Amino acid sequence: MKVKIELYATLRDKYGVKGIVVECDGSIKNLIEQASKLLDEDFFDEVYDSRRNFVREDRIFTINGRNIKDIKGEIRLKEGDVVAIFPPIAGG
Amino acid sequence: MADGYMGKILRVDLTSSSIKVEETDKEIAKKYIGGKGYATYLLYQYLKEYEKKGISPKDINPLGAENVLIFATGPGTGVVGFPSPGRYHVMALRSPLTNAIGSANSGGKWGPCLKFAGFDAVVVEGASDKPVYLEIVDGKAELKDASQIWGRTTFDTCRILKEKVGGKRTSVACIGPAGENLVLMACIINDEHRAAGRTGLGAVMGAKKLKAIVVSGAKNVEVAKPEEYQEVSKKCLEKIKNNPVTGEGLPTYGTAILVNIINNAGALPFKNWQSGYNPEADKISGETLTKDYLIRKGACWGCTIACGRVTKVAGGAYQVLYSEGPEYESIWALGNTTGVMDMGAVIKANHFCDELGMDPISLGSTIACAMELKEKGYISEEELQGIDLKFGNSAALVEMVWKTAYKAGFGKYLALGSKRLAEIFGAEGLSMSVKSLEMPAYDPRGAKGIGLTYATANRGGCHVTGYTISPEILGIPEKIDPLTTEGKATWVKVFQDFTCVVNSTVNCLFTTFALGAQDYAELLSTVTGWNFTEEELLKIGERIYNLERVIINKFGFDGKDDILPKRLLEEPMPEGAAKGQVVELDKMKEEYYKLRGWVNGKPTEEKLKELGIEL
Repeated sequence: MKVKIELYATLRDKYGVKGIVVECDGSIKNLIEQASKLLDEDFFDEVYDSRRNFVREDRIFTINGRNIKDIKGEIRLKEGDVVAIFPPIAGG
Repeated sequence: MADGYMGKILRVDLTSSSIKVEETDKEIAKKYIGGKGYATYLLYQYLKEYEKKGISPKDINPLGAENVLIFATGPGTGVVGFPSPGRYHVMALRSPLTNAIGSANSGGKWGPCLKFAGFDAVVVEGASDKPVYLEIVDGKAELKDASQIWGRTTFDTCRILKEKVGGKRTSVACIGPAGENLVLMACIINDEHRAAGRTGLGAVMGAKKLKAIVVSGAKNVEVAKPEEYQEVSKKCLEKIKNNPVTGEGLPTYGTAILVNIINNAGALPFKNWQSGYNPEADKISGETLTKDYLIRKGACWGCTIACGRVTKVAGGAYQVLYSEGPEYESIWALGNTTGVMDMGAVIKANHFCDELGMDPISLGSTIACAMELKEKGYISEEELQGIDLKFGNSAALVEMVWKTAYKAGFGKYLALGSKRLAEIFGAEGLSMSVKSLEMPAYDPRGAKGIGLTYATANRGGCHVTGYTISPEILGIPEKIDPLTTEGKATWVKVFQDFTCVVNSTVNCLFTTFALGAQDYAELLSTVTGWNFTEEELLKIGERIYNLERVIINKFGFDGKDDILPKRLLEEPMPEGAAKGQVVELDKMKEEYYKLRGWVNGKPTEEKLKELGIEL
């Protein structure tokens, strides 16, 4: 399925794109693996924590605007979902 | 005395042109710290005096001589090595915009320079019949004729007075034409681009015909336990440096970085809060600001975070070769909620807000309100005198800034703020404000906790006093679900109390992305020599919050005013990540009052006794 990944702040600068469309099997891990093949292989560790087998604690990762830390149960992506990834940021 | 305080407070009576110096009361300081806390205590004493003289609080005219304006620093302000110590707090007994208490906070270097000049605070009462400015240099204070600078912009006023007084440790806080013209959202500007922005304090200064306060001096701020302080300072500055937000995010992008993330969460109010999602928000985002308009970052006095932006618009109709900001709030208010997607126009409008001395949050939101009123047929073409005030019209936005400052044409209505504007044109529900203060850049249908903050903030629709956006969307210190109401009351109360501590210290709230109450306890203990614990500090914060609440209760504000606009309670969010949501305020409010020990928005006698507040 096709899922869009949007990058923000320093991630946008690092990978030189605002967003890419990725073909994946519906799992978060696979999405990021596939994205690394398109962007750069270090993208995987930039976003995913292999030890916890989950998105990095210090990344804001949303699916259609909903932060994955707030989603209960197993997370499966659907065709056309939009994933947004932010590094730690804040303001007032 | 080496304890972070300069030991002196200036009391200025503009009616009699007299200036008195009094000692900073350390017994009060132990209970209220300084800054906002000490100022709130002093304002309450004025209220009591007025009541004794038979003046009812409800009869106090915010633009009258009886209003009181206080500029206050705290024991942390201007201390070398203190985390982000370049701030000061301003309070007015009554705000002309809200009729509740007036309160605002600013950066730059005015706060430290007041202390270098030898004072902890300046209390201004009465009103002058001719324009004057106050000069405070090396421990001496004098009122001087301001006829040559009355009418001048804030930029000119700052430059003229800074040059007149000279010296490197000199700073000017002043009003521009908006304050002189009693525009209800007029603000106080210092160092040209920093603002004590909200609640119309510029109009209070204008009504007193006080044009500016220039401060300068050679003193340094001494601390009680220098060696222990050095250790604590080092530890705290390391925490700030190593924290990804204060050490990298904020210095790289400034606060504007929030535009895309808040929009992504469906909580970026769009077109006067008709939606919380704007598909084009990236055009006015922090990323765009950094890429196309940023010259370099900037910092307030002594700050190691440096979230300030120095920007320019290189060419075109909105060219400006040097400006500072805009901040996230300014971008949202002048841009997103007005539908203006031209970053150059937003920067120019923000620049004019600084130059003329107005709060961009209230101004932008008032313009957006007018745009919706026009769209829905409440305002006629004739009233607008040739301005096509519709959502997205950049030229109209920029023009309305100066028109508001001078109350020209339709600007005379905008100058009243959105609440009065909407009432005049027959659509009160379209003012997106609480207690007449326009709400800032977060739609609580997408983050319920901030809705409780807006409803219960003593100064009106305010976000900084209880910034639950931090846990709800940013995940700091931990992630909580923005769309639920459970537990939000506790977060709001703790943040409100802790923010009072920060605003009484007075240093920058952004340090709290990296530091906690325990850090503040250690910092304040080693600076003052008094032994504060984390619990005691939060108790002090609670005391300050409750005393401020007592003051607004006396003005007639209570539970009926701790509310949100109908739109947020009854109109489900039409799109975005928070689609379908409304704010379940009553649930959160009930829990909040229980935690606070309040009934119908008023502290009980037991609560006041517990906090040692003597009425």
